[in-house]
Amino acid sequence: MNNKFVRRIIVSLVCAILIAGCWLAIAGQPASAAGQGGGKTIVMGTSPDYPPYENVDAAGGGEIVGLDIDIAKHIADKLGYKLQIAGSDFDGLIAALQSRRVDFVMSAMSATEERKKSVDFSDTYYNARNTIVSLKKHSYATLDDLKDKRIGVQLGSTQESVVAGMKGAQITKLSKIPDLMQSLKADRIDAAIVEDAVAADYAGTNADLHFEMIPAEDSGEGYAIAFPKGSPYTAEFNGVLQEMKADGALQAIIDNWFGTEKEAEPAVKNRGLDFKRLEPYVGYLVRGTYVTLLFTLVSALFGFIWGGILSLFKISNVAPLRWFSTVYTSIFRGTPLLLQLLIIYYAVPQLFGYTIPALLAAGLAFGLNSAAYLSETIRGGILAVDKGQREAALSLGIPYRTMMVSIIFPQAVKNILPALVNECVALLKESSLVSVIAVADLLFRASVIRSTTFLAFEPLLAAGAIYYVLVLILTSLARLLERRMRRSD
Amino acid sequence: MINVEDLTKTYGKLEVLKGISTTVEQGEVVAIIGPSGSGKSTFLRCLNLLEMPTGGRIAIDGVELTDPKTDITRIRQNIGMVFQHFHLFPHMTVMDNLTFAPMRVKGLSKEEARAKGYMLLERVGLKDKADVFPSKLSGGQKQRVAIARSLAMDPEIMLFDEPTSALDPEMVKEVLAVIRDLASTGMTMLIVTHEMKFAREAADTIYFLDGGRLIEKAEPERFFSKPQSERAARFLEQVL
Repeated sequence: MNNKFVRRIIVSLVCAILIAGCWLAIAGQPASAAGQGGGKTIVMGTSPDYPPYENVDAAGGGEIVGLDIDIAKHIADKLGYKLQIAGSDFDGLIAALQSRRVDFVMSAMSATEERKKSVDFSDTYYNARNTIVSLKKHSYATLDDLKDKRIGVQLGSTQESVVAGMKGAQITKLSKIPDLMQSLKADRIDAAIVEDAVAADYAGTNADLHFEMIPAEDSGEGYAIAFPKGSPYTAEFNGVLQEMKADGALQAIIDNWFGTEKEAEPAVKNRGLDFKRLEPYVGYLVRGTYVTLLFTLVSALFGFIWGGILSLFKISNVAPLRWFSTVYTSIFRGTPLLLQLLIIYYAVPQLFGYTIPALLAAGLAFGLNSAAYLSETIRGGILAVDKGQREAALSLGIPYRTMMVSIIFPQAVKNILPALVNECVALLKESSLVSVIAVADLLFRASVIRSTTFLAFEPLLAAGAIYYVLVLILTSLARLLERRMRRSD
Repeated sequence: MINVEDLTKTYGKLEVLKGISTTVEQGEVVAIIGPSGSGKSTFLRCLNLLEMPTGGRIAIDGVELTDPKTDITRIRQNIGMVFQHFHLFPHMTVMDNLTFAPMRVKGLSKEEARAKGYMLLERVGLKDKADVFPSKLSGGQKQRVAIARSLAMDPEIMLFDEPTSALDPEMVKEVLAVIRDLASTGMTMLIVTHEMKFAREAADTIYFLDGGRLIEKAEPERFFSKPQSERAARFLEQVL
């Protein structure tokens, strides 16, 4: 293989990655950045699916709002910091602290002994109590009632420890509260253990749900702010918390969110779908569609280019290049995409000290993964091109690179177009995996809407419809392209 | 001038060329004939290194082909090749087939390349096919386009590898007419062919290959009327 050619490919690849990176970095800015005057920016991690502590104001500007947010804003204000909020899954929050993606976490997180091994906690700012939520017809009142029942808790939450000792019970752990409530209604679990404010919210909007406080001695620890081990912020924050407790500012914020009865939303009917309530969220979903499309486009493009280069490596005369691409394909095809995504997202900051933006990490993981599959497809496409084409080009004195780019590749791509379209469709749908690292894509936004509206199916159905339409558009475009390529037949 | 000295080519244990030596003069038209498997095509393909020789030397105008310092891509620009199965670029129109290499390799402007393309298409009688895709052409037309594509690079040498073997009989004539016309212009040409009548009429020299060796090298009249070797005589008996 021509050396100059390889060098050029590498240079253009690096440029492509940089461009894609900048693009994603811009698009990947956290949805909520609450400006708080001048000064240094501190980043708060939270899982915005837990109203009233924190949830996405999807109907409004898509900002993260809630009790925790107000407290954090107050503290940041007092300390003269600029507050930036980064949403993430609850079970990813501790990892985000450890990889220094965020400076502190406020997410209705209890200061348990287990967590104290990994992170530092401030003083507690609120004591919530755990409750048992069940269907009205059962109305379980105590943990004793649940001894041999099916119980659901949120994965990574304090409530896990409440049920930890219950040997006879069957425990189900789910990431999101709305899923717990839906499981309850669908009779997959008999009861859910959640904290009081959440239980009150759900019981308020779902007539068939009932909740009961668990006696205090069983309840979890108070909520506190979590910091990385040895963080200088811990003392500062504690100071302000003391002040807020003393001057009543803390109580005022709590009262603001709990004190006044919120305007009760109309009770959700059990039967029938209610798409009207999605109306305020249309804009929010459309922005998610944009994120999904952008992300799919970038990862497909990156995957195609890198896959093309890998396929050239595979048919190259240079043995190390062949080995490299073979091992590469083997690893990326042999491990789950989700795992690759998590590793890139969490390992890059720890290993290279670069806090890789979520969208970039996702684009990279999907592109690298897709390239492994595409390199095989493209290699097949290249080998399927008549050997005579290569000989004809060589005998005309056409250099290798020109021959590959202008003679062989166009014919190879035509051969494999259906497979390429399949890959794009798969990427588009698999892109929903990115919600685990809190990229606000279409499906992520659908679940945010679920947790805010307490609607179980409607947001999912709406997201499903959008995905389907996107795939339809994509396949029609592919058909047009194919027709154009077939005009030479 | 092409100098070949003791050219050998083996595939694993199979010896395809067992030491061929010859000289082709400027403007000479050589027809290479012989039974199938005799190494005709391999010999031809060694001349522009589509096959890498196992041993021996090939020099074109004094430049060693197998010398690592030789820029083979440059040499190939000077040697046109026409294949049995045409190998036109199917995703390009006829005109794009003709202009691609001159523009991308020789740096001709689009206007220059197209002007030249039209001239060559006129020469092979296909001026009206400039904008169609190869799939719309008959075999004979494809081969004429392929010849024009090679000529577009202004080569000094043309190699033809069984140019009419894949054609329906009624199309052989039109292709041979083009090659014959080309032979009269003083182009150095080597043609592997089974068309004995054509070889006799158009060639200056006949090479008879058998078993990887150049058995006989003679003027057409002498070769066809009075072959020197017994093998050539037997071959002619079978094909004529």
